[in-house]
Amino acid sequence: MRARPDIPALVAGLAVLALGGVLLLDSLDAIDLTFAVFAPVACAVAGAILVANGLSRER
Amino acid sequence: MDVNDTQGNGPDEEPTVEGPQAPPGEPAPKRLTRSRGDRVVGGVCGGLGRYFNVDPLLFRIGAVALVFLGGAGILLYLAALLLVPNEDQAAPIAPGAQGRNRALVVAAVVVLLIVAWPFLLFGGALFAGIGIPLALLVGAGVLVWWLVSGEGPSGSAGDIARRAALGVAVVIGCFVLFLVAGFGAAAGPDWLIPALVVAAGGAIAAGAFLKPVRWLVPPALTIALAAGVVAAADIDFDGGIGQREYRPGSSVDLRDHYDVGIGQLVVDLRETDLPKGDVPLDLDVGIGEAHVIVPDDVCVATDADVGMGNVALFGRDHGGVDVAYEDAPDAKPTTTRLLLHADVGMGQVRVNDSRGELYFDEHEFGPFHDDDPDLTPAQPAACVTG
Repeated sequence: MRARPDIPALVAGLAVLALGGVLLLDSLDAIDLTFAVFAPVACAVAGAILVANGLSRER
Repeated sequence: MDVNDTQGNGPDEEPTVEGPQAPPGEPAPKRLTRSRGDRVVGGVCGGLGRYFNVDPLLFRIGAVALVFLGGAGILLYLAALLLVPNEDQAAPIAPGAQGRNRALVVAAVVVLLIVAWPFLLFGGALFAGIGIPLALLVGAGVLVWWLVSGEGPSGSAGDIARRAALGVAVVIGCFVLFLVAGFGAAAGPDWLIPALVVAAGGAIAAGAFLKPVRWLVPPALTIALAAGVVAAADIDFDGGIGQREYRPGSSVDLRDHYDVGIGQLVVDLRETDLPKGDVPLDLDVGIGEAHVIVPDDVCVATDADVGMGNVALFGRDHGGVDVAYEDAPDAKPTTTRLLLHADVGMGQVRVNDSRGELYFDEHEFGPFHDDDPDLTPAQPAACVTG
């Protein structure tokens, strides 16, 4: 067990988890995924990973 | 950056090799090197600015302008990247070689410009057609490898080329993975790929506390992207792959549902003896085209959903993403009205009559083609207008 978690990896993992959750909800017909919804979600996930990565490198 | 900085006096610069010590009172010989401290890509423009003692921004603007004027900028930049050493790798130059070095640089630039000029004049578009995508691919490769490994675009030309190649390999690998995951999402159980993405996300998050598995992020995102596109476009591969063409002879032969996974689905009703009143027809295509040809005396009510692509209804084109097109005209008494429901993931829904067949034969028609009201045929006369 690491003393401190790897923050960029943690953010990336949670972001991918959230994206997978959205896809799973669509496959279970709980939501109706369209490009108008998926495109911003995918961009937000990619952006969160890049920001976390960039902030960790600045330290 | 000032020329004096090349002597290694800058506060944040590595010392640079500029040749043997010049005799007291004489300036050290200048060499054209790629700048370490002032670089955007490979330090070529920074080095040129320092060498000629002008703002490197001018060289950068010139390079970008030459890229868009036929791609000569790419050629020149790649040549400089390969031929001009980094400032910390520059070999000492012998006294008296400065003039020869400068002459060689001038000659090389002149030769490259002479070589590039015909491309600018005659083959600019062709050269740009190859050069710009190639440069974008190399640039994307460097960027991807930077993101994946943390190794930036620095070092020798060989290092940069190696990183670009590794980055391009990652891009190609992700593209193949995208296709495989997309096929799996469309052909397999709906929950399978999303569950894999959730599992990958959980593994990455857990790894942050145990042992980071950052390498898993790009493939997980690629798989998620493929599954997302398939889900958003509502693509499924039921019905197989290929071209299917149906020409039912009567309403008995006409099925109420036709589907194709990938390919073209054509339902030609021109020879079909259709009953009066409403006739339902349901088409489902994953990726490709759903094409319905109706008799001239049939009215068509259309309800079409296209994830990415267009609906071409009697020549009127409606395209984009998440296209939901609905057109429900009333039919004249004692005529047939076809109730068409079409669902296409990526591609086109096309409906026309025999006039439209002639129209399509004579006019190139494709996705996002501008309508021409004088040329495009209208809804059949069997529909009630107004």
